[in-house]
Amino acid sequence: MKVGAPKETASGEARVALTPESAGRLKKLGYECLVETGAGMAASFTDQAYQDAGVEVVDSAEALWKQADVIVKVREPSVEEIEAAPEGKTLISFVWPAANEDLLDKMNAKNMSVLAMDMVPRISRAQKMDALSSMANIAGYRAVVEASNNFGRFFMGQMTAAGKVPPAKVLVVGAGVAGLAAIGASTSLGAITLAFDVRPEVAEQVESMGAEFVYLDFDDGDDDSQQDGADTGGYAAPSSPEFREKQLEKFRELAPEVDIVITTALIPNRPAPELWTEDMVEAMKPGSVVIDLAAERGGNCTLTKADERIVTDNDVTIIGYTDFPSRMATQSSTLYATNVRHMLDDLTPEKDGKPVIDMEDDVIRGTLVCHDGEITWPPPEPKTKAIGAAKPKKKEKEETPEEKAEREEKAMKASLNRTAMMLGVGGLLCLGLGTVAPPSFMQHFIVFVLSVFVGYHVIWGVAHSLHTPLMAITNAISSIIIVGALLQISSGSSIVFVLAAAAILMASVNIFGGFLVTRRMLAMFKRS
Amino acid sequence: MSNGLITAAYVVAAVLFILALGGLSNQEKAKRAIWYGIVGMALAVAATIGTSGVEQYITIALMVIIGGIAGWFVAKRVQMTQMPELVAGFHSLVGLAAVFIGINAHLEMTLALAAKEAGTVAELAGFAATIAKKTALELNILKVELFLGILIGAITFTGSIIAYGKLSGKLSSAALTLPGRHLLNLTAIIACLALGWLYLDGAGLWTMILVALIAGAIGCHLILAIGGADMPVVVSMLNSYSGWAAAAIGFTLGNDLLIVTGALVGSSGAILSYIMCKGMNRSFVSVILGGWGGESSGSADVDGDMVSADADDVAAAVEDADNIVIVPGYGMAVAQAQSAVSELTKKLRGQGKRVRFAIHPVAGRLPGHMNVLLAEAKVPYDIVLEMEEINEDFPDTDVVIIIGANDIVNPAAQDDPGSPIAGMPVLEVWKARQVFVCKRGQGTGYSGIENPLFFKDNTRMFYGDAKASMEALLKELG
Repeated sequence: MKVGAPKETASGEARVALTPESAGRLKKLGYECLVETGAGMAASFTDQAYQDAGVEVVDSAEALWKQADVIVKVREPSVEEIEAAPEGKTLISFVWPAANEDLLDKMNAKNMSVLAMDMVPRISRAQKMDALSSMANIAGYRAVVEASNNFGRFFMGQMTAAGKVPPAKVLVVGAGVAGLAAIGASTSLGAITLAFDVRPEVAEQVESMGAEFVYLDFDDGDDDSQQDGADTGGYAAPSSPEFREKQLEKFRELAPEVDIVITTALIPNRPAPELWTEDMVEAMKPGSVVIDLAAERGGNCTLTKADERIVTDNDVTIIGYTDFPSRMATQSSTLYATNVRHMLDDLTPEKDGKPVIDMEDDVIRGTLVCHDGEITWPPPEPKTKAIGAAKPKKKEKEETPEEKAEREEKAMKASLNRTAMMLGVGGLLCLGLGTVAPPSFMQHFIVFVLSVFVGYHVIWGVAHSLHTPLMAITNAISSIIIVGALLQISSGSSIVFVLAAAAILMASVNIFGGFLVTRRMLAMFKRS
Repeated sequence: MSNGLITAAYVVAAVLFILALGGLSNQEKAKRAIWYGIVGMALAVAATIGTSGVEQYITIALMVIIGGIAGWFVAKRVQMTQMPELVAGFHSLVGLAAVFIGINAHLEMTLALAAKEAGTVAELAGFAATIAKKTALELNILKVELFLGILIGAITFTGSIIAYGKLSGKLSSAALTLPGRHLLNLTAIIACLALGWLYLDGAGLWTMILVALIAGAIGCHLILAIGGADMPVVVSMLNSYSGWAAAAIGFTLGNDLLIVTGALVGSSGAILSYIMCKGMNRSFVSVILGGWGGESSGSADVDGDMVSADADDVAAAVEDADNIVIVPGYGMAVAQAQSAVSELTKKLRGQGKRVRFAIHPVAGRLPGHMNVLLAEAKVPYDIVLEMEEINEDFPDTDVVIIIGANDIVNPAAQDDPGSPIAGMPVLEVWKARQVFVCKRGQGTGYSGIENPLFFKDNTRMFYGDAKASMEALLKELG
């Protein structure tokens, strides 16, 4: 079958869904590839490059739609495109079915099978097709570059002969893929980077990228009211009004300090939350920059105008471009084409160039929005959960003082009982021994019992890593038995003499050897 | 020296010994602790020599010097990896010395009694003189103590020799399981007790010599029946025995210093054994009675293949990793790979990676064995962590490198209730992203149990001698 990539019709769109490289890989899956002439030009892929990779270059969109069985696109098709399209094609592209229900109906009327790249479920198996993430990654990076372009200073602090340059302070709002990419780019340019997200579990990721996570201060110390995004497939969910208030308060506090704000906060299928209000922009220093990656959905900043760069009265630049990935068309085309190629890979298990739509496959089912004359959107719940639900933080149940006292008393009683028992039994045994044994023995016995106790208590305190030296030193000390031999050696009997001398010899070996080995071992322990 | 002075010296020595053991609570203090032990020992020996009635100074000096040189020589020469067998070997000396002293005590007792009857008590010196003053009851107690001293001493002696043989590889490490071995042990113990009874009844030296022989046989058999993986427990158990033997002799001789020290050593060994057993989730009794082999028929077979990797695969994975955990085992000790491992650690840490060591409580053949080896190779001890400290971190770990360890990373302990090691706490390495197992061959480990870890998808086998493998890896890392 034939896979074809038409030229994008949306104005300013520079990306293309098929690159010479991905075409090469698709051939191995048994597909023939087509491309509309000039489709890759804006992304620096010439027709020649396609031809060299064995892709047939077709003169017009019309011809391409006619010849190809599978159409791959970046942007959702326009209504005109669909109206002109022949029946029964398979389309792989961004669709945004929630926003484009009309379009969906039209495509369905044309009996198309449509796979929406924006609907790829967020499970680890599908990561290789997750075009949203790969585009967001680019957008995040580009946002920093764009900010730097509009910012009149260095990102990195420097001490130069011509004076001291303060580092730029960047605030990234929303630590999704785009946010994290922005954090990475910003820290590597040397800026002080702060980041905020409503999902507290990303704090670790934020910190791993080298930024500082902005925590909200809650008076009651209940930190976990920053919410948990795991059950929404890793995306943020709308937050409560109180939470929002806290958040805005924090931003107001930060606004005069930060030089650059990059907002990436999006909630699936909803307008972007308004997080950077007019008064915050007013509080910012002249020359500051706001990059709003959510501009397409209304923007996180109140003043954002989609696709425009505006400068406010207090000289704050607000950028609302919606085409960040397209501004890096070569990179984004390469990544997007790879995502599409992986999608086709999964669609073609036999590698025979025939796409098979397997409704049992979570990824394909989730992505499919219409098929066989039926609208299959929205998909049923996937069988595999997106992200293992974050374990609910075990809330240490504050026990009331009474409960605590009760518990302690119980434990105390149990241990008292145990001790009493042991003491009772031990005492009885001792009494029994005392009735038969002479006082001279009992004296030694006291010493013995006390020593066992001392030994017991001392040894529990020994560090685990020192157990081997402990063994060596106790071994050395056990040669105290030499004392016995010394006391006997002067006996008149020659056998006793010989045996005692032998015992002294052996014990001496042990004394010297044991202590030396212990010393050697201990000498090796060092701290870094 | 007056008796008061000698007792004072003994008290000081006993306190010093306690300080020596207590000082091991942390590494920095430990270096001081050893001097407490040395000074205590010197004081005890000097005070004893100064006791009235002790003569033969030349022989004593000669024996101490010869023994001292021999001990010094052995301890200087021994490799750190040979520590376990060295300690076991040393224990045997203490055991044999206890037997000798016990027999001596009997001889002196006969001597003293004979003198008493002949009315020449006044001519007796030293220990014999004290015996002569004892009542009949005290003499009976003395006999019991003597019996115990010889019994425990003999078990320690032969047990330690067998342990030495097993640890140094001169004997097979597999558990010897004679049919009816528990019955055998029981019979032998009963025979010893019977002989002891005869001895109390007035029978001569022959009973004690027989007891020594039978106890020796028990010692042999006990340790032979204990499998290789339980060896750490055995060593600390023998350590404990040698202490009890010293304490028993202390009772016999009426010497409090011996009693104190013996009890200290005895209880310390017992607690160490207990800690070890807990680390393996096994009851103390079952370890002592020994023998895993043969009884473990329930262990499940493992499906799948072992996939091998070579040095450059490992190097590539390690280079990509940020968080690396190294799990050393006895194989590292055998191959003397610790300095290569240390080198590797240094290099990786130099590249800004987080490298840590995970030490299982029973890794190696001695408690704390791995710590000693790593310390020898100058691995900083604050990156060497215990099992409980690091087990939760494995899911966040990029690469785990297992060097010559097997049972302590065996998931069967958790998954397979039929496994002989079921329930033993293990390092959960399989939760890491990638596991490399550095191992000599495909065979099972010391305990002879199949390890399903080696068949897991994220496990790669890095075959070869641990030292050679680590050096190859170092070379790849450049």
